[in-house]
Amino acid sequence: MSVLAYGVVAWLFLVGIYGVVTSRNLIHLVVCVSVAQSATDVLLLEIGYRNGGHAPVFVDLPAHPGPAVDAVMQALALTDVVVGAAVTALLMALAVQVHKRAGTLDPDELRATRE
Amino acid sequence: MSRRARLMFFAVAAAALAVTLGVGLAGLPSFGSQVSAYARMLNEVSGRQRHVTDVVSAITFDYRGIDTLFEEFILLGAVTGISVLLRPLSDETRQLPEDKAPDRGIPPPSPAVWLLAVFLSSLLVLTGLETVTHGTLTPGGGFQGGVILASALYVVYLGTNYRTVERYQPDALLESSDGVGAFGYVFIGLLGLMAGDVFLTNVVGLGVTGNPISGGIIPLLNLTVGLEVAGGFAILASEFLDQTAVIRTKTGPR
Amino acid sequence: MGLVSTSVLLPISVAVPLGGAALLAGFSWLLPRRARDLIAIAVALATTALTLSLVAASAGHPMIYWFSGWRPSAGMVIGIDYAAGPLGAGMASLAGVLASAALVYSWRYFDSARGRHHALVLIFLAASVDFCLTGDLFNLFVAFELVAVTAFALTGYNAGHPGPLQGAINFAVTNSLGGMTVLMGVGFLYARTGSLNLAQIGQALAGRHADGLVVVAFALLTGGFLVKAAVVPFHFWLPDAYGSAPTPVCVLFAGVMSELGLFAVIRVWDTVFSGLAGGVGPRMRAVLLGFGILTAVVGAVMALAQTHLKRMLAFVTMSHLGIYLIGAGLLTPLGLAGASLLVIGDGLAKSALFLGVGVVQHQRASVSELKLRGQGRGLAVTGVTIVLGALVLADLPPFVSSAGHALLVDAADEVGLPWMELVIALSVILSSGAVLRAAGRIWLGWGASESSRPDTGTADDPGEENEDDGRPRSGRRERVPLTMVLPPLALLAIGLGLGLTSGIEEHAVAAAAAFSDRTSYAAGVLGTHGSPIPPRGPAVPASPELSAGGVLTDLGQVLAALGVAALALNPRAAGLRRALAAGTGWLRRLHSGLVGDQVTWLVAGLALLAALGEAALH
Repeated sequence: MSVLAYGVVAWLFLVGIYGVVTSRNLIHLVVCVSVAQSATDVLLLEIGYRNGGHAPVFVDLPAHPGPAVDAVMQALALTDVVVGAAVTALLMALAVQVHKRAGTLDPDELRATRE
Repeated sequence: MSRRARLMFFAVAAAALAVTLGVGLAGLPSFGSQVSAYARMLNEVSGRQRHVTDVVSAITFDYRGIDTLFEEFILLGAVTGISVLLRPLSDETRQLPEDKAPDRGIPPPSPAVWLLAVFLSSLLVLTGLETVTHGTLTPGGGFQGGVILASALYVVYLGTNYRTVERYQPDALLESSDGVGAFGYVFIGLLGLMAGDVFLTNVVGLGVTGNPISGGIIPLLNLTVGLEVAGGFAILASEFLDQTAVIRTKTGPR
Repeated sequence: MGLVSTSVLLPISVAVPLGGAALLAGFSWLLPRRARDLIAIAVALATTALTLSLVAASAGHPMIYWFSGWRPSAGMVIGIDYAAGPLGAGMASLAGVLASAALVYSWRYFDSARGRHHALVLIFLAASVDFCLTGDLFNLFVAFELVAVTAFALTGYNAGHPGPLQGAINFAVTNSLGGMTVLMGVGFLYARTGSLNLAQIGQALAGRHADGLVVVAFALLTGGFLVKAAVVPFHFWLPDAYGSAPTPVCVLFAGVMSELGLFAVIRVWDTVFSGLAGGVGPRMRAVLLGFGILTAVVGAVMALAQTHLKRMLAFVTMSHLGIYLIGAGLLTPLGLAGASLLVIGDGLAKSALFLGVGVVQHQRASVSELKLRGQGRGLAVTGVTIVLGALVLADLPPFVSSAGHALLVDAADEVGLPWMELVIALSVILSSGAVLRAAGRIWLGWGASESSRPDTGTADDPGEENEDDGRPRSGRRERVPLTMVLPPLALLAIGLGLGLTSGIEEHAVAAAAAFSDRTSYAAGVLGTHGSPIPPRGPAVPASPELSAGGVLTDLGQVLAALGVAALALNPRAAGLRRALAAGTGWLRRLHSGLVGDQVTWLVAGLALLAALGEAALH
């Protein structure tokens, strides 16, 4: 169980980076960045998970609810989601302008800062 | 590097990084077996200390409230940055698309679509307000509710057309909401100092656990965040829509 | 009572820039342009004053501040703290000074974004202050991302040109991945120690042997910060971003942002990992010095190969980052003190250089050293600024960089690495020589106007910064506004003033000693004993003979840099230049500007760092 659960983190991160490295389209590249980012959220939530734990919301619970999962990691993941949304939106805005100004979305065609 | 060389290099580097991550992940406690003492303590005490039922909210806005202040500014920075990046540049102008057939007016949206838009956007506004105001009780709060509120504007656009949205779009109001929301969080933090205590100290009564108005400053902070996020996401939508709908190069494509 | 009143400075120094930014972002539509400029400058100056007073207030006695009033209870940290010492506060005040200079400089410079870039600069400043003061690892990540998000947007300010857009994309993609590795590192350490507080994590790890998880956490955290610090091989984004960002933004980037990356590496090392069992310090020193030397030399060689002035300054910046990493990587208070004074002195000089180049670009519509040959007449003050800036980077006494250089050399001697002085001298001579060569060509008209090297130089983008200043442009040769000429001179004057301040070395060493003392830091934060005894810094070997020797070394560096510039401009040395260009062609080609390549290097760097970390920590 641990191998599968934690393996997802490594898989998501690496496959996202693979997408970034090989991408031929900036929109696709930005989505790949988000895929890699989701690895960090999964990692945080998994670190905070507890078998049989319920959400850290103490309302309408059954009589013996058992333990709750880690609310700290959920709060951090929430922050990370906002960070991810901010970065994705900024990159998308840059992609819009690149398409207009360079006439291409292929990152390998962008040679404006070439040495 | 050629694409081929890059791929070979990446294959080697990624394999090494995979091993690295594997070693790190293998060092974690087995999945689902334990939760930190810190988290257990907060699950235990936040209901008593902060009169909330949603512990995530208490952590986000109280125990670790300063994180959330900066998080709010990440959003403000991104929204401001995007309005800078997508502003009409010196070789661009804002103009509505030319009407190719001026003798035929734009057909009004069908009543069914219009009605659906009114219904859905009202529903979104209500859900958004509900989410913003109940963050201390159940999952939700300013970030989530703010996004829902802003999406009401998207529905109006879908149900009518950009010309209508553009005509009524209160840019100044959205920007002010964005700024006031962000400033509000700072201000509530300063209230703690004015009360002679530390920044972001709770300065109001904690209320009765389970009531919408409970948790001290947490609902107030949720309101400021809701304002900021709703304004911010609405600005985002309008900036991106402007790019496709009204911003045109003055002298043809470059 | 006195303590209460000074600790209020900590939250106020972030609340002021944040509040100012929120008001500017929300109400720029309401405010006239002049008011926006004035508010932004006033807020930046106020933040500078606040952080400067923190430097004084926290000297000898670190200031701890628990937000929302959540002090640690029963040995467990509950909330988030600021833990300020003079070193962190000094870094924050450098950010304040440079942000103020950048805002004054942009007074008449550009304003097509309706003042919204002011808000971005102030958010950047607030995030930098938070970054320097925070005692919480996750809060450090949040500050890292906030600095990053505003910086991405500012880089792409001239969104009408492909260069800045590509620079911003490369910057955003690589640094976001860096942020992700930092966050994973935070997660790993939390899983192990159950805490997000630097001091508490450090206590939990202290005296234990590092296992795989700790090594990987170290590599992920440090690697992420090294992306921001643009250390080889994580550096490829830097020339693209710094070479294409607007000048006032380059000031913030070159003077503060990259340095924050290094600051975080050392802060996390000192507070979290330095207590690990098994004598990890000396082995980690070797790792950090390796990265530092590589960065210093690669940056210097690349700087010499540039004719695009801003790209040249970008590589100069990078080379100096390598030198700071050498100083900080010695992992002694003396080395850190030297690096800190260099960060201040060089930061001021690099910013003056960027601003000077900005004036040239504004007046002559080019940043190409070759196109600008002999075009410097009428810009004499700017010429003096640039030459002086380059000499200060070569540690011209009595500017403060010279003091930092002396401390750094002493520190290297102290740990038995006297040859480190040669590495530093070589990088400094080459990178300053590059700038002096450009100055000689532009102001004296020396050297060839055409490139003697075949494939160098990026496209000159003349309109880049001028198009968006929102004013009709009549005639290029108008007077340079004083708001553009004075800020770089003021920055150099500050560097001179600090260099003439007696006892600045002692202050720096004491600050660095307090910064690197893990146990007393942890005791102060966790309150394990009442009032921490201010650590005694080691005595500074500042005997007169040594100082005289240091001055001679510095003057030697300055002369050698001038020599490099003369050689580079001498028509008879064309063959030598061609040979050098051919020899470094492969290095230049590695800087392809393609984001795919840059991310591949990042992945390789992370893996390399993990392997080295394993060797050093395990």
